[in-house]
Amino acid sequence: MATETPKKQLQSPRKPKQSLNNLKVQSSPLSISLSPQTPQSLIPPQAPPRRSLRRTSLHFSSTPIEDSIEYEKSDPKTPRKAVEEIGKISGQSRKGQSHEERVKTPKTPKIPKSKRNDENRKTAKLGILGEGMVEAEVTFSSVTPEVLETKKRKRGEDKTVIPRAMATRSSKKKEKKRVYYKKVVYDEGEFDVGDDVYVKRREDASSDDEVPEMEECRVCFRAGRSVMIECDDCLGGFHLKCLKPPLKEVPEGDWVCGFCQAQKLGKYVEFPEPPEGKKRVRTLREKLLASDLWAARIESLWKEVDGSFWFRGRWYMIPEETACGRQPHNLRRELYRTNDCADIEMESIIRHCNVMSPKEYAKANDEGDDVFLCEYEYDIHWHSFKRIAEIDNDEADDEHADSDEDWNSSKEPDSGTDEDMEYEEESTRNAQARLSTAHLAANSRKGHFFGLQKIGTKKIPEHVRCHKQTVLERAKATLLLATLPKSLPCRNKEMEEIMAFVKGAICDDRCLGRCLYIHGVPGTGKTMSVLAVMRNLKSEVDAGSIRPYCFVEVNGLKLASPENIYRVIYEALTGHRVSWKKALQLLNERFSDGKKIGKEDDRPCILLIDELDLLVTRNQSVLYNILDWPTKPHSKLIVIGIANTMDLPEKLLPRISSRMGIQRLCFGPYNYQQLQEIISSRLKGIDAFEKQAVEFASRKVAAISGDARRALEICRRAADIADYRIKKQISTVNSSTGKDIVTMAEVDAAIQEMFQAPHVQVMKSCSKLSKIFLTAMVYELYKTGMGETTFEKLAMTISCLCTSNGEAFPGWDTILKVGCKLGECRIILCEPGDRHRLQKLQLNFPSDDVAFALKDTKDLPWLAKYL
Amino acid sequence: MGREKEKENPSQKALNLLRTRLSNPNFVFKPLSDSPDSNYSKLKFIISSSITEACNNSILLLGPRGSGKVAVLELVLSDLLQQYPEAISVIRLNGLLHGDDNCALKEIARQLCMEHQLLFSKVASFDDNSQFLIAMLRECGLAHKTIIFVLDEFDLFAQAKQRLLYSLLDAMQSVTSQAVVIGVSCRLDVDQLLEKRVRSRFSHRKLLFLPPSKEDTERFLEHILSLPKDSSLPHSYTVEFNGRLKNVLADERFKELINTYLSFNSTIGQLMRFLFQAVSYMDLDVGFLSLENFKTALSSTQRQPKSECIKDCSILELYLLVCMKRLEVKEQNSYNFNSVMTEYKSIHDFQTSDNYAGNVCLRAFEHLLQRELISFTDNRGHNQSVEFRPVKLLISPAELYHGLKSYRSCPAILLKLIAR
Repeated sequence: MATETPKKQLQSPRKPKQSLNNLKVQSSPLSISLSPQTPQSLIPPQAPPRRSLRRTSLHFSSTPIEDSIEYEKSDPKTPRKAVEEIGKISGQSRKGQSHEERVKTPKTPKIPKSKRNDENRKTAKLGILGEGMVEAEVTFSSVTPEVLETKKRKRGEDKTVIPRAMATRSSKKKEKKRVYYKKVVYDEGEFDVGDDVYVKRREDASSDDEVPEMEECRVCFRAGRSVMIECDDCLGGFHLKCLKPPLKEVPEGDWVCGFCQAQKLGKYVEFPEPPEGKKRVRTLREKLLASDLWAARIESLWKEVDGSFWFRGRWYMIPEETACGRQPHNLRRELYRTNDCADIEMESIIRHCNVMSPKEYAKANDEGDDVFLCEYEYDIHWHSFKRIAEIDNDEADDEHADSDEDWNSSKEPDSGTDEDMEYEEESTRNAQARLSTAHLAANSRKGHFFGLQKIGTKKIPEHVRCHKQTVLERAKATLLLATLPKSLPCRNKEMEEIMAFVKGAICDDRCLGRCLYIHGVPGTGKTMSVLAVMRNLKSEVDAGSIRPYCFVEVNGLKLASPENIYRVIYEALTGHRVSWKKALQLLNERFSDGKKIGKEDDRPCILLIDELDLLVTRNQSVLYNILDWPTKPHSKLIVIGIANTMDLPEKLLPRISSRMGIQRLCFGPYNYQQLQEIISSRLKGIDAFEKQAVEFASRKVAAISGDARRALEICRRAADIADYRIKKQISTVNSSTGKDIVTMAEVDAAIQEMFQAPHVQVMKSCSKLSKIFLTAMVYELYKTGMGETTFEKLAMTISCLCTSNGEAFPGWDTILKVGCKLGECRIILCEPGDRHRLQKLQLNFPSDDVAFALKDTKDLPWLAKYL
Repeated sequence: MGREKEKENPSQKALNLLRTRLSNPNFVFKPLSDSPDSNYSKLKFIISSSITEACNNSILLLGPRGSGKVAVLELVLSDLLQQYPEAISVIRLNGLLHGDDNCALKEIARQLCMEHQLLFSKVASFDDNSQFLIAMLRECGLAHKTIIFVLDEFDLFAQAKQRLLYSLLDAMQSVTSQAVVIGVSCRLDVDQLLEKRVRSRFSHRKLLFLPPSKEDTERFLEHILSLPKDSSLPHSYTVEFNGRLKNVLADERFKELINTYLSFNSTIGQLMRFLFQAVSYMDLDVGFLSLENFKTALSSTQRQPKSECIKDCSILELYLLVCMKRLEVKEQNSYNFNSVMTEYKSIHDFQTSDNYAGNVCLRAFEHLLQRELISFTDNRGHNQSVEFRPVKLLISPAELYHGLKSYRSCPAILLKLIAR
């Protein structure tokens, strides 16, 4: 619900300045009252803007907040009600987004926010104009009561515990030193970068003082040691013995408590009241899900000059706080990661919590109460969801929120030491980037794409969550080419060889650059093996057993022209974009002359060139240059080239083949056992295929090409066909019990579809004249023994055939048209029709196929005579 | 007058209705889409499964021109856009327009930007656009959005280096994306055109579009031509129209007529064109379709431009044509205007009439060239004058003979000359 304020304010250090300037201009400096036009009475006390409190407490001191805080005090007793409220509010907010001028509509609870929104927009605009204006010192007063007086920041303002601190940081701070840490021990807790923590929302609620480590039973209100079971609906904990009837052990699968069951049936349920004098204590989890607490992920940790510890947190949101509210498929313990960050003082951390990806979450069962699931990222500006990329978590984050650039220092390996952050420079650069963003197109240059964060679903589609996969669907998913298999069977020998090669090259003291040429037909796992080796090596680098290196991957077919490879390599190495000529010069300097500029340049560099044959130019200079570098004494360059042809080095100039052809590795086509192993290793645990079916597919593919992609695709297609058949059966006949297993028949159908041109079917169903035409072609072929004929001869044959079999001869021009139509489908090959009788014709398929297709034509039985 | 106008109204309306139907592929292909064997449901299954199961697919739609490949695809896409309004973005390319890889990629980037309201830059390079495409594929995959690439005239994309197809298909197998590539082509051997590494990445689903069977065609005719019961047309008129139409459709002569037409080309698209013509011949005063309408339409479709051309020729032009034919019979395969003139003169050595001067003959010769009854044998020698360039007869002797026979006032001598 705090979604409406633009993020920019928080993320770029410049923006806040502007807005502060403007705020000062627009309103009184002492306490910036939010909206002079908004009368207090308009704000109904029962519906405070929840999440936005963070912001309001920051910028503005006004009555609405106090109102809301009063409300908050009464909140803890009625957690469920609060959730309902939130639902209501979020509904309203959704409505409100479209109407900016909600100021005029009374009774909407969120007037302050929309007002502020307007204001911000204005300030943003003004800010660009008035850049370099006075840096104003704006003091903020926060209503949030201050409890922790221990460490104060040197600021001319009151300290806020829950600040959007970036916004308040004035420019003079930037010149000071900060100390960044990777790990901080604070208040007996150990906090790493990347940890998830509960964050205090405010300091007034008395219940916050006693934070129960153990959850209480909802029936007997004691924690105790005995086993508790969690209701999957209301998340309440129950002692096994307190249940009616008591359970002996935790049941398998989902379990819903009696109260929830009764509630679902529409009964009125009375929850057991806590005993006199003892208030039911809510756990942190409950508070979080009732949005009385916040959760955040630590992005970076540092110590301010004054010794206070701060961290930058990325907020998590509960589904109720998003624009579309809680959806039916949301899980109870689901959170969304936002792209909204704030600097928070370490004081406000309560303790760790555990936010997991779905995979980890599925495995976790005994981790206690503070376990949450997070699958999606929520963009607070566009109100859209996006899955969090699984593999490269960190890189993806940087792409989504490009304003995190200045925080990358925390990711560097040596971030334990003191470090000067040149904020001034960073911020100006950032500012320029911001300024130009307005003019930058999404697909424009420099490798940055602007506006990609716009993309996202407004709602997580239901079919993603609620759909339970059938066996066949699971099989299809694992057979997908894009799914990375857990292991790569059948290429161990080759991978070892590559591994040995790369290791030998890197670990060599002089690091004499070398070159490896890998060849093999498509789909035999060349690129995949190399990438797998590189992954293994990367983990070894992380473990510290080998020296770090840099890895550059280039695909020849994805380059606009061969020369562009210099540019791509240079960009990958340094991050700068230059023209290819300049890049060639710089690379030459680096590799041949041994000039090292940065400290990174010292590392050995592994260059993987996929589809190497595309780099062959007329004078082959590109290949020569690239392959010449490794022979230079200080280059530290290792080139791995991949191509299909076995004899590519021999086809090239001798000076190139002597540099490339020394070490070669051949990826032979897979044989059928290997293909079978590949398929069955993917299908492990899924009982969707007949054994013979897999064997059939792999034998067929092995006989034709030995291409693993083809084999996988055939199996996937077969599963598809089976799935289609079953789904159609279900929709037509309810009772039918089709076995959901892929049989030989389906595999055969898939193979037919993949490997056979459909010309026989087309010939069978084409028009009568086309059939006569084709028959005449075959007849002519037999008669003359020549594959090629002219239209004139053919037309004579057709007219003979027609007259002798009692068909009306349609006329030459009609026949010409028929011929051209067949030529379009490439059943015959023909010259353009304007050559008329001189047009040359030829069958594109064997005449036997035509004979086979046309033998049993019902309306033209006489065709068989001529075939 | 007023009464007449009122009477005219329903037939005019009916005509409009029929024409609208015939030019609307959605209406034409809708009834064919129900059965599970139809291409419609197969295609819909493949696309929707890649939406719901988040996988990549590539499909080829093959079939002769006019068999409704694009029409069925559009039907499926519009249905899916209704079903999953947010989850699909469709990118349409045509091989005739975007056969060049660079320009195709630019167009993809443009359409993606349009779809997602991003700013598009025209000057972005090939590399930028391809990186943008990959980034978009990934982002959309993460946001559960499917990008559908429709490549019409797919065979034209499968030429030269095929960078576009390679980068598209390679991205689809390496990035976590949801994308469907649909290639539409009338070439049956289009997958053989793909380069081997592109073919290896293509998932080779093929849907074959075939002309309808006889029974289907009959159902089809009735479905399209009969007027709906619940329209603004007067009820009595509708009933009578449908009754008469039934009679026409049941007529043996009509069936024969349709068969003659279908024996030439049996695809749905052609049938639609024929029906459109027939409907347009409907007499508005009568207001009902009759067999005559279909007959006229048939005769107007079965034209023989070549023999009609001969009917328009002058006697001199006929002489020239006959001379060329005689030269060919003499196995003189290469001839130009001068050799034709020699032949022409040799005819007139013993025949007297119809003797024209050389320049008149040249005019006639040029006219024949323009009518494309004859043509130059090659494109070389543009700077040579017309008389010396070798020509070829484009009309076959048999056609010429038939043409002469049906010519109004063909000199008997010509027929004799051509026969000899």
